[in-house]
Amino acid sequence: MRAFVTVGSTRFDALIQEVIKEDILLSLSRSGYDEVSIQCGNSSFEFSSSVADGSVHDIERAEVSVSCWKFKPNLEEEYEEADLVISHAGSGTILDVLRKGKRLIVVPNETLLDNHQHELAIALEEKNHLKSSTIADLAQTINEINTAQLTPFPPHDGKLFAGVLDITMGFI
Amino acid sequence: MDSPFARMSPLGTMSLSSALALSASVSVVCATIAVLRLFSILPHSGGDAPKPRLRPHHPTCKLSVFLGSGGHTSESLAMISGLDFKKYQPRVYYVSEGDTLSAHKAIELERRKIDATRESSNEVVPSYHGANSNDISRTQPTPDLEGEPYKIVVIPRARRVHQSLLTTPVTALVSLLSCIYFITVQPFLQRKSRKSRFNQRPRGTSSPPAGGADQNEVLVLNGPGTCLMLAAAVYLNRILALPSPVIIYVESFARVSSLSLSGRLIQPFADRFIVQWPQLLRSAKTGEYHGWLV
Repeated sequence: MRAFVTVGSTRFDALIQEVIKEDILLSLSRSGYDEVSIQCGNSSFEFSSSVADGSVHDIERAEVSVSCWKFKPNLEEEYEEADLVISHAGSGTILDVLRKGKRLIVVPNETLLDNHQHELAIALEEKNHLKSSTIADLAQTINEINTAQLTPFPPHDGKLFAGVLDITMGFI
Repeated sequence: MDSPFARMSPLGTMSLSSALALSASVSVVCATIAVLRLFSILPHSGGDAPKPRLRPHHPTCKLSVFLGSGGHTSESLAMISGLDFKKYQPRVYYVSEGDTLSAHKAIELERRKIDATRESSNEVVPSYHGANSNDISRTQPTPDLEGEPYKIVVIPRARRVHQSLLTTPVTALVSLLSCIYFITVQPFLQRKSRKSRFNQRPRGTSSPPAGGADQNEVLVLNGPGTCLMLAAAVYLNRILALPSPVIIYVESFARVSSLSLSGRLIQPFADRFIVQWPQLLRSAKTGEYHGWLV
């Protein structure tokens, strides 16, 4: 199985540093993951100099093949191939991943001043669509998520906004 | 010898101080009138949103939407993707300067919608970039459509990420002036040229141009800050009693328990203020909730 770690367009040093540690990779490999793809963005970590020129850095650790890279124009394919996504709590990533029906662990970046990312993660966890975690609890959350009964996220309903607009503009 | 004009001109006989006092009182009166007018047209103080044009006499609605980059762009395009593009055309996508990704995503959506229409029916549909604009007018007789089914309009950012608060008023003003050009000035000029073209035609060939034909009928906003400049330009139109679009503000899906700064600032001015989490209705006081729109 394959796990995909993503931090979006910015950086999240603590998350990237954590997911390449032996104990997190061990949790992943015990849960059946043998591949981990890491989109590290501008995060500073062990291999940040190796990926600085846009190349992919591959390592083998705790029986998991890990590949790190900075950015791709489109992450759709990565989401498709993944069985589990571990991400910062960006709303765009959350919507994309949940709409693909993938298991998602979000780790809100506590160092950001504006904590509304955290609010969204908690609200969606309350609805049982994903698991919200912290750097310290990440290994534990990885152990739990495979057996967790998550509620499928509702597909996009384009009729909702169309209905509002049709009424406003006099079509209905 | 005294110039006769000096005596005739009112300013010539007026002292500098009284001239200043006169111009000051004129500006105070003008500002007061503008503020009173603004208050009388606010959506929640009894003013009405622009009345939608009569359907089915106008089978199409000119739509505009601001793509605020990143998550805002995804949310706006997700909302627009559910619309019937035959009804909502032509479409205007406002993007921030330098945000080529949002422009590409808009083009991508337009392409996807065309493909979807092709698959669902066998009728001829126009190519996505208006390359066959003649085909469009043949298959869909729409009085508002001039050429392309959509266009992308670039406006300068009101404030860049991490920009200092000190220089923000300057960039915000540049952004506002650009919005005023696209929302107030350009439609006004188009209306004038359309009228003069109509007057040059032989009589009775077609109906006169509709009042709001060159103005967007609805403006969909989702944030961030630059969308306030678009809203301000819309209000300039309303103060001047020019045609103006209905403002629909949809708060970001990421906002669960507190409104964004853009949301709080735009709330008194939006004709429809929509949130995507019901618990926000408590803090927002006014607003609507229709489920997740993105």
